[in-house]
Amino acid sequence: MGAVRARAAIAGFVALAIVGAIAFVLFATRGGPSAPAGGDREAQALAIERQLLCPQCTNERLDVCTLAICTDMKGVIRERLEAGAPPDDIVLYFRNRYGERVLREIPREGFNLLLFGWVGGSLALVALAGGGFLYRLRRASRVRPAPAGPPSPDDRWLDAQIEREP
Amino acid sequence: MNLLATLGASAVLTALASALFAIGASVYALRARSARAQHAARRAILAVAALLTGAIALLGVALLTNDFSLAHVAAVSSREMEPRFKWASLYSGQPGSLLFWTWAMALFMAAFVHITVPRVPWCAPHAVATAGAVLGAFLFALAFFASPFAVSPYLPEDGVGLNPLLVDPGMLIHPPFLLSGLVSTSVPFTLGAAALLAGRVDGAWIRHARGWALLSFLVLSVGNMLGGWWAYTVLGWGGYWGWDPVENSAILPLLPMIAFLHTLQVQERRGMLKLWNLVLVLAAFALAVFGTFNVRSGLVSSVHSFAQSEIGPYFLVLVGLTVIASLGLIVWRLPDLRAEAELDSLASRETGMLVNSYVMITIALVVLGGTLFPVFSELFNDTRITVGPPFYDDVVGPLLIAMLVLMAIGVVVPWRGAAPRTLVRRLRAPAAIVAAATVALAWLGVRDGFALAGAGAAIGVASVCVREYALGARGLRRATGRPWPAAFAALFARDQRRYGGYLVHIGVAIMAIAVISSNIYQDQTRAVVAPGESFRAGAYTLTYNRLYAERPNRNGIDVEVRAEITVSRGDEVVATLAPGRRTFTNFPGQPVAIVAIDGSFARDLYVFIQGWDESLTAEFQAFVNPLVRWLWIGGAVYVLGTVIALAPRREPARERAASPAGATERA
Repeated sequence: MGAVRARAAIAGFVALAIVGAIAFVLFATRGGPSAPAGGDREAQALAIERQLLCPQCTNERLDVCTLAICTDMKGVIRERLEAGAPPDDIVLYFRNRYGERVLREIPREGFNLLLFGWVGGSLALVALAGGGFLYRLRRASRVRPAPAGPPSPDDRWLDAQIEREP
Repeated sequence: MNLLATLGASAVLTALASALFAIGASVYALRARSARAQHAARRAILAVAALLTGAIALLGVALLTNDFSLAHVAAVSSREMEPRFKWASLYSGQPGSLLFWTWAMALFMAAFVHITVPRVPWCAPHAVATAGAVLGAFLFALAFFASPFAVSPYLPEDGVGLNPLLVDPGMLIHPPFLLSGLVSTSVPFTLGAAALLAGRVDGAWIRHARGWALLSFLVLSVGNMLGGWWAYTVLGWGGYWGWDPVENSAILPLLPMIAFLHTLQVQERRGMLKLWNLVLVLAAFALAVFGTFNVRSGLVSSVHSFAQSEIGPYFLVLVGLTVIASLGLIVWRLPDLRAEAELDSLASRETGMLVNSYVMITIALVVLGGTLFPVFSELFNDTRITVGPPFYDDVVGPLLIAMLVLMAIGVVVPWRGAAPRTLVRRLRAPAAIVAAATVALAWLGVRDGFALAGAGAAIGVASVCVREYALGARGLRRATGRPWPAAFAALFARDQRRYGGYLVHIGVAIMAIAVISSNIYQDQTRAVVAPGESFRAGAYTLTYNRLYAERPNRNGIDVEVRAEITVSRGDEVVATLAPGRRTFTNFPGQPVAIVAIDGSFARDLYVFIQGWDESLTAEFQAFVNPLVRWLWIGGAVYVLGTVIALAPRREPARERAASPAGATERA
């Protein structure tokens, strides 16, 4: 019974880990926000502004910044949209002009991949070290088998409540 | 001679001498087994707190009496400021903030030395020496790098005044809570370090650290929540958390502290995770010191940072020393840190708590990496970059959902494990609720996978906790015949920690739902309108009536320009708002938004004015933020639960009698 329970638990954790990993990959690899295609020009402009930061302030989104330089940038966005420029090209224009610091989303390329490497490394480190630690704790109990032990008074009491459930 | 400055500087220097004396006396007490020396060392820590209280009072007097001969007063205060903002300006600049930080730390340490140290005689000298060393390190910085009692080279007529962004009632409460929360991590750290130094790493130090850790968790959480509320109501960007480097620094110590509050229970009950618990308290303090280094060094640009100063390298050394000393102590005592018991089952509450602490530490590592990466990019790639919210949303978001899932499972799974049949029975009802709620949300139009997963997990957390309350109250009702409300209230008296903790979980679940809805379903509108014209924001029509100006003649405000806006839904007028902009006499280039919010339980209508021209045609931004009010309600529930858990424990007789020998009273 103990081995079955352990296998069931391990299977549960593996399933959780797989679901978590899939979810993580899905979220981590999804593209950045894209402006709505066509239609509402103002909504398009706003979506582009939300991808950019003020070049002078600290971590202030372009769409909410009131500095003159940001007012100019908003004007450029509208002009270029009017001229038919694709949103990605407009973002690229500001990136070339002011540098990567005006991008709200860090580009997933070149040196910046080190950051994602850090994320992956952190996940791997915690999973491996934590898993190893868990394995050692678990193995110790197998080497020196301990009885499952009676549930604590709280748990016994709770179990009794659940048993009474209709 | 400036008497006030001389007295203040003397108080700081004497406090430094007292902290150093506490170290020396503790070492002597340990070697000579001298009770008198130990007593003197404890008194020295109390003296540090008293002296710094005096220093705070002196600086307060200087601010209230407009003594601009002090450089700090001249830099952050002005004659026109109200007394409450003069007090708030005490902790607004680098030197004042450092004095407040060290004072708060001294108060915590004094309380620790007065309340806890007498109860831990086996590590008392080590604890007092560590407290002295920690205090001494900050007092040294205060005395030699950033003294708030430095005298101005000339006497100005008036001060510059408080930074415009800080002229807000939030300034009166947010920084004190946050700074106190950050320094409060020093107490569990001191106790952990003392246990390591004394070579007694069983459950004894844990029992005494628990209350301090819970207090630290409470104050730090309140500080962060107030920061979010302040950002939301003042900064004028429609959000409450921007993943700014300094915001990150404030939340980083909270993560290991939360993990510790859970895993300490495993050590209390089972004698396991000794090493991990020490790592967590040491990490929390190291991250708090890193946070102050981050804010004070100017290393990472942030809306919160102080100007770059020579204090940065000093704090970098301090962070390094904290980490090296902590690791050294752990390695030294590694043979004593073996678990006293084994894990009976992977499907146990112990495992759930441990794995959730792994998630917390992963989040901390990711946030730390994101915070520091711009520095590395500039240093090694010669490129200035910004690691903004999209990175954190993508990486931390899934981890937070995993945390919620584990929170739900952890409450259901019993200690030491349970048969699969029991687990299925316990999970059946919450899983059904989660499934039904998720389907209902999808039917109501929620299509975003992240929103569905997050809301489902949060509902799972809340439902397992509500189920625990219901089962507990029903049991008490049957046993005692009390009515439902009395039985429910009696649960908290029966076990504050457990049922207070469930309330904290419910608060987290409510906050998670508010965060998800307000981020994913935020509706933003920008409109340029002339007086008398209207624009739409969500289901509302906003009519711009007029623009008017006021001169409040206080706190350095030059002029406040406000727009009167009538908000209607259909034919019904639901609110009148007055968003605007405030400019300051001494800071003409730093106007501050005046945000107007019409709040309800369903949504906040959040409006600010972007600008206007000579014809009074104005540009407005309006956000409809769904369920934001629930963020503050969830926060209040979270705080209430923590306060209940923090209340002195009335341990039930049955639990004392039934506790496994050596499990909870091992020390």
